[in-house]
This record gives sequence, C-alpha cells and structure tokens, in this order.
Amino acid sequence: MDTQELLQKAEELLREFTETTNQPEENRLDVYMAVENIKPAVKALLIDGKWGYLSAITAMDCPDYEIDETTKEKVAVAGKGHLEALYHFCEGAAVVSLRFKLPYDNPHLETICDIIPSASFFEREAMELVGIIFDNTPITARLILPDSWPEGVYPLRKTFKGLDKETKGE
Amino acid sequence: MDNKKIETFVVPIGPQHPALKEPGHFEFTVDGEIVTDATARLGFVHRGMEKGVEDRTWVQGLYLMERVCGICSHVHAMAFALGAEKLANVQAPPRAQAIRELVGELERIHSHMLWLGVAAHEGGFDTLFMLSWRDRETVMDLLELVSGNRVNYSANVLGGVKIDISAAQKDEILKGMDFLEERSRHYMKVVTEDETFLGRTRKIGVMAYEDARVLGAIGPTARASGVARDVRVESPYAGYVDFPVNIQLSDAGDLEARFVVRINELFESYRVIREILEKLPPGDLAARMPRRIPEGETISRVEAPRGELLYFMKSNGTDKPERIKVRTPSLCNWASVLQTAIGHKLADMPMILAGIDPCFSCNDRMVTIKTPANPDVWDWETLRQFGIEYYK
Repeated sequence: MDTQELLQKAEELLREFTETTNQPEENRLDVYMAVENIKPAVKALLIDGKWGYLSAITAMDCPDYEIDETTKEKVAVAGKGHLEALYHFCEGAAVVSLRFKLPYDNPHLETICDIIPSASFFEREAMELVGIIFDNTPITARLILPDSWPEGVYPLRKTFKGLDKETKGE
Repeated sequence: MDNKKIETFVVPIGPQHPALKEPGHFEFTVDGEIVTDATARLGFVHRGMEKGVEDRTWVQGLYLMERVCGICSHVHAMAFALGAEKLANVQAPPRAQAIRELVGELERIHSHMLWLGVAAHEGGFDTLFMLSWRDRETVMDLLELVSGNRVNYSANVLGGVKIDISAAQKDEILKGMDFLEERSRHYMKVVTEDETFLGRTRKIGVMAYEDARVLGAIGPTARASGVARDVRVESPYAGYVDFPVNIQLSDAGDLEARFVVRINELFESYRVIREILEKLPPGDLAARMPRRIPEGETISRVEAPRGELLYFMKSNGTDKPERIKVRTPSLCNWASVLQTAIGHKLADMPMILAGIDPCFSCNDRMVTIKTPANPDVWDWETLRQFGIEYYK
C-alpha cells in the first residue's frame, strides 16, 4: 500500500469519530476529534484496523499571545488559549495524528494504557511537563521531574519562566 | 487464613545501574526468581532541552539538539535540520544529503559496536567487550578524520552540511570498512556459535511479533521480532532515496536475534558507505536558509541506531521555534521491553535491559545548578570574555 492509500484507510477507520481533518503534508493526516472519542478511535485504528503503531504523544501549550507594551515582546496570556494532545501513529511513511484540544480548566483525557500498555511513559511525560490529566492511567508517579519539584508547576507551559529561588532551595 | 494476602517483593535496581554507566531506576516485583511487574523512573540527568530550544534561534537550536545524545548526536542534528528545511521549503543539495547519510551510517557502526561491547560485558564475556571496543576505535578515528570530532560531529548546518569528503579521506574510510567487515564476520561467528554466550542469549527475553507491533517497539529491537520498521526504508530521507539500504530482519525475537540483526546492519552500513563514496554526487554543500522560518508544523522522522527518532516541530514565523517535541527511540523500547520482562528470571534483567541498547541521555533532556555563588559556575558574559581573551 502506498502512503496515500494508507492515509485513506486510516481516514475511513476513524470516520465515525472525526470532527475535521486536515492534510498538512503529503504523508500526514491530522484528525481532530472530541475528547470522549479517544479510546474507541485508538482501538478502531490500531487493534481493529491493524494500522501502524503509536509513535509518540506530543503535548503542546497553545496560549493566546499579546504584545507587551513596554518590552514590545510577545507574551502568553495566563489562562487564555488551550492545551493540545497529539497522538502520532505511523505506518510506513504515513503519519496520522489524532488531535485533541483541551481547555486549561479541565484538561482531562481518558488513558489508552489498557489498549497500549507502553503508552504509560508518554502519558506520564505529558502529565508532568504540560499538565494534561489522564484519567485512570495506571502509574502516576514522577517519571522525569525531581521529587522536590512543586506540584502544579508545568515546565513546558509557555507561562513557565523558571522556578523562584526559594523553591529551588538557593 | 481466609484473607490470604499475596506478599510482593520489590527489587529496586539503580539509579546506579547494573547494565549501563548511566542513571535509571527500575523496580521489579518478583515472585521467587520470576519477575511479575516492572516499572521505571527516569529523569536523573534530565536537561530540559525541549524548553531550552524555545528560547533559542533555529541555528542555536541545531547545536543544542545535537547534544541530546552523545552516542547518536548526528541523527538528532539531521532530524532537526531536515524538519527546519521542510518548514522553510529549502532543499539541501544532493551532495549534502549523501554526506549526511554517510556520517549517519558511520555513526551507526560506532553505536552498534559500542552496544555489542556493552551487551557482551553484561553477559559476562569481557573479551568480546574489549575486542569490539578496540575495533570501534577504527570508526571513531574515521569520524574524527571527516569531521574533526569524536562525539558531536557537527556535520550539519541548516540547509546542508559543512564537511566535505576528500580523496584521501575516501581511501581511509574504505580501508577502515574492509578491516571492520572482516572483524564483524568474526563477531557474527562468536555470537551465534559460542556455547556459553548462547546460554545467555538464545530464547531469552523473547518479544513476540504481535507484542512488538502493538507495543510500538522500533529499531533493531522490533526488527529482531520480525516487525519490518525502518524509517530509512519506509520513508527515505536525506541520501537514503539515492542510496537505499536493505532492511535486516529476524523472526526469533530473542536476545540472540538482536545481536544478529545489529551485526547484519553493520554489513549493510559497510556496503552503503562504499556505494556512497563511489558515487558521491558533485555540487554544493549547502543551500541558503532564511533566518525566520514561516509558520507551520512538521514531523521529521529518521532512523537512529536504536530506532525511529521522531521530531514534532512547530514554527511561528519568527527566528525561534514555537515547540519542538523529541521522541527518542529508547523511550519506546523501554516501554515495550518492560512489558516483556514479566515472566523472566531476575538474573536475566541486565541482559534484557541491555538488549534494547538503552540510552538515558535520549530520554533525559535539565541540569540544575544549585549554587549560583559557586566560583566554578560562569555566567554567559564571563564565558564570552574568557573566549575573547583566550583567542586574542
């Protein structure tokens, strides 16, 4: 199967869960869907459709920006915008990304560890660094950040500019 | 005893680690000698590079990302450069793409030989460890010859490469390949025939095809289980379009198969390096790259020695990236191997862990310096001044 056929097949497998799709590059398909569709969509693609493998989960902070009057620099506005989780599935040269937009005040996604046990690492990483909450994920212990890291501080959020001295223990 | 509670015994391993000279913490739950559950804690050498790159220009980012890993540094720089070029709609010249592949394959040879030594050491076979590391010096010298560096070769620039291959260097590389090919034949014989060593590898740590497929194993770990995943073959990038490689597979799925697949890949690397040197396309080494990169998103995938390396890159129209997500091969393979560890003997764990060729700097990307008053810590300005004075 060539790349376009692979993408078509993935699109068909995911059709009933899809809100909108977008083909940003020749070998890629972005599928936007509602949060509650995550598990059935992953199951339809990977288990029933035997399409590819979960290559990575990208967690991203997409805040609204404004121009600071004094410094003329672009700064992220706290609380405005959204988080985004992208589940990249690869098969051959084709990459399908399931994309979920999550509001800051309720960044919940259902875990997919019962379908793909190895997704635990990706979920733990997204949990710690961006602050997405994966409901029912089996392991919630820290994976990367130090034990002394404060709760509720997510370093990959755009508003994070470093810990204050007191927290760092200096 | 109505409520018979099952007692579990947890064996913590690391952060001072039994398999590699890098920090990682594992907890194996055991029932007697048999492992029943396994988890990991990483991050002991996490350096916050994904955050760091957002504050740097694309050019600085290239140098930062090359330092994600000290073993497969070139593939990181290559993945970053290829992604940035895609976003900027710039095509690196054919000669540059071929040299990227050449350095990439030399790096694969050094990495596979390094792994061969480490894995042999874990199996208690130190002679093989010493011999393979001695021979690995050949390829290290070749990398130094072409790039000037043994570790971060810095062969890439955005838009191409900055090193060229001269006729004298070509001869040296060919000589090195001949020597290494002969040595690799010997290693293949050792890992498939030596009785004591086979006792540690044959039918140990078996990962079935279906497990490898669903759990997302990649690289030689997946290929040793018969899963045909190799980005070089499936989605050729850089020079791999003109100088393709053949995929190396095995159906056995055990540790022995992981040795066989990696050594077969060495032979494939020797072959393709000779071919590249023979038909190296003429022309420029680099194309012009704009300083600001238009808004967009791309995924850059390359085949690192340990498996598929994935970069998700988002640009915002400025000279700095918006988000760079790095997913290194070791993370996928950790996840899959910890699942397959269940049911094996605890004594086999070091070999099974070493079998995927784990790399910690791959996953751990923050250095926190606790005491700013420490005189050994220089700020940027002091370092810059020192550099200016030093080279006066």
